[in-house]
Amino acid sequence: MRQSQSAVMERGVDLHSVHETEPFEVAWAGEARWYVQFLRPAPGSRVEFRVQISPDGLTWIDHDGVEPVASEAVGMLSIPVTGIGHWLRLRSEQTTGDEAPMLRIYLELKE
Amino acid sequence: MTTPDVASTAAGLRDAIRSSDLRLSKFNPLPRILTFDDFNQGAHGWVELGGNYNGRGDLDSMDEHFRDFRPPMLSNQSFFDVGTHGGMTGTYSLKLATRNAPGHTATAIRRLTMSGRGLLQIEAYIAWKGEANLGGGEEANSYGDISWDANSHPTEAQFGAFTVATDLSHDGIRYHNVMRFQNADEDGRIIQKWMYPTVAEPTPHERFEGKHDYGRYADFTAPDPKDWTYLNDVRQEACYNEVPTKVNWHYLRFLIDTKTRSNVELQFNNDTYDLRDVPVPPYAEKYESLESLLNFYFSVRTLGPHRNFLFLDSVVISTDW
Repeated sequence: MRQSQSAVMERGVDLHSVHETEPFEVAWAGEARWYVQFLRPAPGSRVEFRVQISPDGLTWIDHDGVEPVASEAVGMLSIPVTGIGHWLRLRSEQTTGDEAPMLRIYLELKE
Repeated sequence: MTTPDVASTAAGLRDAIRSSDLRLSKFNPLPRILTFDDFNQGAHGWVELGGNYNGRGDLDSMDEHFRDFRPPMLSNQSFFDVGTHGGMTGTYSLKLATRNAPGHTATAIRRLTMSGRGLLQIEAYIAWKGEANLGGGEEANSYGDISWDANSHPTEAQFGAFTVATDLSHDGIRYHNVMRFQNADEDGRIIQKWMYPTVAEPTPHERFEGKHDYGRYADFTAPDPKDWTYLNDVRQEACYNEVPTKVNWHYLRFLIDTKTRSNVELQFNNDTYDLRDVPVPPYAEKYESLESLLNFYFSVRTLGPHRNFLFLDSVVISTDW
């Protein structure tokens, strides 16, 4: 049976411009999936999500295999990720809109 | 052969078998092992401590200081300078990581129930770390009591505290056995002493009744520093090993007695402390729905704007019942 873990990275964070999830070690996992729920939507906004990777949990670059995902800050979205290396985080950036949405962010991992 | 001889022989045989087990021989468990977790096959039921929420699943109903204890993660300890360090047993350990916010606490809890009353022990091999810093100016070479001298490293002073504790209840009486290693204060002054709280942990029900309302970074175990007492005046030196990317595992053993709801003993590396005079304050209020509660938790708390980490390589919970 495959090992798995669901980590609730944020329970309700106000997105003020840019938010980065805490560094998470994922060396054991073969695949990941982010879920983002807009607990407080901000319709009319544009939020861009980037999956980022790191060799040490200190320095980060965009994942080379995952294109940025754009959202209108309503509902829920997910981002599947493979080739995740040892560290993973999700960067959220509100590029347009005045009202700050509130996010719940899950990270799901499987061997 | 008399009955005591049979019991003695059985105990001797049990000890011989355990001491020849490569994974268990580094522990000194009581006769019945309830759990053995080396974290090479997952988190084994150690989960982020969550607060209590209402019937709608509304997390706004949760105590602010219970909302963000962070999910534990499996770590192979990969660092910027040496690559993968690995664990004491196998590749992985369980890692608790705080945010870089003063007062933030990360917690992992294991939830069981009691099938008996008596001695109860948790043993673990642990390591704690500040976060490695890369870059910055000369100011990065000093923090609190420590300036880098190629022996001591300022990140050691950036580590606040770790705690091993219980959450227990039987016969309607709920109580916590708690021991904390306070490494440094909020100014980075080295303390390195064991301490314990003299009050019971604030409960969500008390907040519900309007008796308190703590902020996000309050110390959930006992928010008022005046409610903590040092075990003794002796500095408990440990092995940080000069930089935050060298890992040496420390042995920790905490023995309590649920029959008498008391502390018994704490062992840390080669030092053993008699805890029988250390109080275990019960809640005045009787509890329902928690009968035979048997929880253990570890937590790590930063006091400055630095992530703090606690690694658990393996943990054994054992009893004499």
